[in-house]
Amino acid sequence: MIRLSVIAAFLPYNTLVVAAGVAAVGCAAGVIGTFGVLRKRALVGDAAAHATLVGVASALLLTGQRDLAVLLVGGLTSAMVAIVLLVLIRKFTRTRDDAAIAIVLSVSFGLGITLISGMVSRGIPGSGGLERFLLGHTASLTAHDAILLGAVSATSVLCIVVGLKEATMVAFDRDFAAAAGWPAATIDFVLIALVAVMVVVGLPAAGAVLVTALVVIPPAVARQWTERIVPMLVIAGTVGLVSSLLGVAISSVAVQIPTGPVVVLVATSFLIFSVFLAPCRGIVWRARATSLLPSACCEEKDAETTARVVTEQKL
Amino acid sequence: MINLVADSAITLWFDRVGPLHGWAIATAVVVSACCAIVGTLLVVRQMSLLGDAISHAVLPGLVVAVLCGAQPGGVGVLLGATVAAMTTVWSTRFLFRHAGLWEDASVGVAFTTLFAAGVLLITVSGSRVDLDPGCVLYGILELVPFDTVSVYGWDLPRAFVSALSVLVLIIFGVWCTWRWQIFTAFDTDAAKAAGIPVGGVTCGLLIGVSLATVTGFVAVGAILVVAMLVVPAAAAERLVHRLHHAVWLAVLFAAVGAVGGYLLAWRFSTSAAGMMAVVLGVEYLVAILIAPDDGVAARLVSKLVYLWRVQIEDRLASLWRAEESKQLVQEGGFAGLINRWLCVRGKLRKEENVFVLTPQGRMHAELIVRSHRLWETWLGKHVDLPVDHLHPPAEWIEHHLGEQVRKRIEDELGNKDIDPHGSMIPKEKR
Repeated sequence: MIRLSVIAAFLPYNTLVVAAGVAAVGCAAGVIGTFGVLRKRALVGDAAAHATLVGVASALLLTGQRDLAVLLVGGLTSAMVAIVLLVLIRKFTRTRDDAAIAIVLSVSFGLGITLISGMVSRGIPGSGGLERFLLGHTASLTAHDAILLGAVSATSVLCIVVGLKEATMVAFDRDFAAAAGWPAATIDFVLIALVAVMVVVGLPAAGAVLVTALVVIPPAVARQWTERIVPMLVIAGTVGLVSSLLGVAISSVAVQIPTGPVVVLVATSFLIFSVFLAPCRGIVWRARATSLLPSACCEEKDAETTARVVTEQKL
Repeated sequence: MINLVADSAITLWFDRVGPLHGWAIATAVVVSACCAIVGTLLVVRQMSLLGDAISHAVLPGLVVAVLCGAQPGGVGVLLGATVAAMTTVWSTRFLFRHAGLWEDASVGVAFTTLFAAGVLLITVSGSRVDLDPGCVLYGILELVPFDTVSVYGWDLPRAFVSALSVLVLIIFGVWCTWRWQIFTAFDTDAAKAAGIPVGGVTCGLLIGVSLATVTGFVAVGAILVVAMLVVPAAAAERLVHRLHHAVWLAVLFAAVGAVGGYLLAWRFSTSAAGMMAVVLGVEYLVAILIAPDDGVAARLVSKLVYLWRVQIEDRLASLWRAEESKQLVQEGGFAGLINRWLCVRGKLRKEENVFVLTPQGRMHAELIVRSHRLWETWLGKHVDLPVDHLHPPAEWIEHHLGEQVRKRIEDELGNKDIDPHGSMIPKEKR
């Protein structure tokens, strides 16, 4: 407590609030994004983020009040609809996944822009500047928002912790999980839905692109350091947390610099560092290992590469 | 061709809608045509996400180009954006190969980083870069006609001129490399083995994508460019099977989307770019509904046709059996409708309030009953099923056996003419 108050004395209250909010989102997004990346759905979060605009606009139109909670509920609804649409397109058409994500993302964003722009031109109160919702406004985060972000993040992480076994099973071999009698489709949907919740909640704090980055980059970093799920979750969460905090710290020192992009760049620099220097997988490590005797570690790596090639051929 | 038609239609409208709207629509059509052509290749090569990535990632390229003193809308900006796009693609490849990440995660890392760098550059450079992030995201189609440039004495909008030159460039490039593009799209490894410079072909395509994206930026903004790249292509791809047909259809869809979107936006006074994406989305929806081979409607229709055929054939067979056993026929659901249809087709005749089979109908019914009883006999001989379990599978398969299969089963059974229930198996009549 003493230490906290010392920090609080040095930092402005506003920076503390922003740091708490962004850190909560960063940590939870890293944990939840891990499953998204493992399920090869890294960009579903991006589609969900862009789809929120429709819900945000509709919520304002229906209730007539620009309250963050109301807007978030609307955004969450439309993000869920977008995910359901993705599932439907995958199931009923031969459009491939990548095109489906791009279609849902861009068309729902277009619909959102159309709605908002129509509302602005009809002079509906509160609609001005709503299209900037996706850009986020980190600096204006209030203590209330930070608490909301923290609560949602904690709940999401708790969901993962409770259902870790099921989630892991589905993430690694969905067909096996289904054959073993688990509700694989439902678990799968919950995993994506968690990503959507995280993205929508993180939006006002961080903006669409930053949230997408927080869902993708920390798991990518964690992937360099470990082959196991629990360490991967922990590392992803930590990387998300640390890069958020560092980002907020940097942008609070240099006033001019916006928080969101800095957080992304910090996370990416972690990734670059890991890609080169991580043990076993890192480029430097592998270059050194090939010049020495093949170690057990590299054999493991080879086995993994072979397994990957085999799966790719099967697919 | 389609563009010419669209353009001349627009010149006809100039009197009605006024030159400002006319130029905006013309620009939108040309931009969407650019995007649709390269987008089709992007979609069939399963690289749609790269389109999304490039549209975000050209931002830092634009900023750096403008910082270096390039004119907005000039060649320098195009160059900067292309370099940024290539950086995205290169880093995606790098992460995919060396970081053990799947393709979508690599794309996600690359474009978010570059976009963040772009936003950071804009903020840091402050007033030196006249780029509004809002404009980059949402486009300024409505303002296109006001920024004009003089070409041979004509005052044309700058965006229109640059879009038109990019369109010519893209058409020329795609036309020259068409065979390579097709080969690479359908089998990259075979193309590589055949000595086609696959890397060069892909690189050329991606340069085309980044040119189209930068042009689209001005008209509709970064994210809605993705709609123009992917949605018409995905819709066209569902409707036709030949790649060059898909390209033409995608261009048509894109043009309809651009004109329709603009006019609707004008009518409802809302954002033209957004409305274009919505119209494109509706086109895609229609395409997946009516797609001839796997569309929702096509599948529904073929299912209904099948169910109807089963009903008809069951009805004929039951009439035939009733005749055979001299019993009254049991009427199923839709009996009236089915009877009327069979009368129209000449398979039933009404005699004294009772329906009887015509010779044609009897022949059809015999084939069904023959399939049914042959199958029961075959099951009875080869599968250890009790006699009362033979009927259900035969009831299902009787609609699916063809003449040759019946012949083979009959030969295999040794020309048996009594089924396990003791009924006669009708003979095939020619």
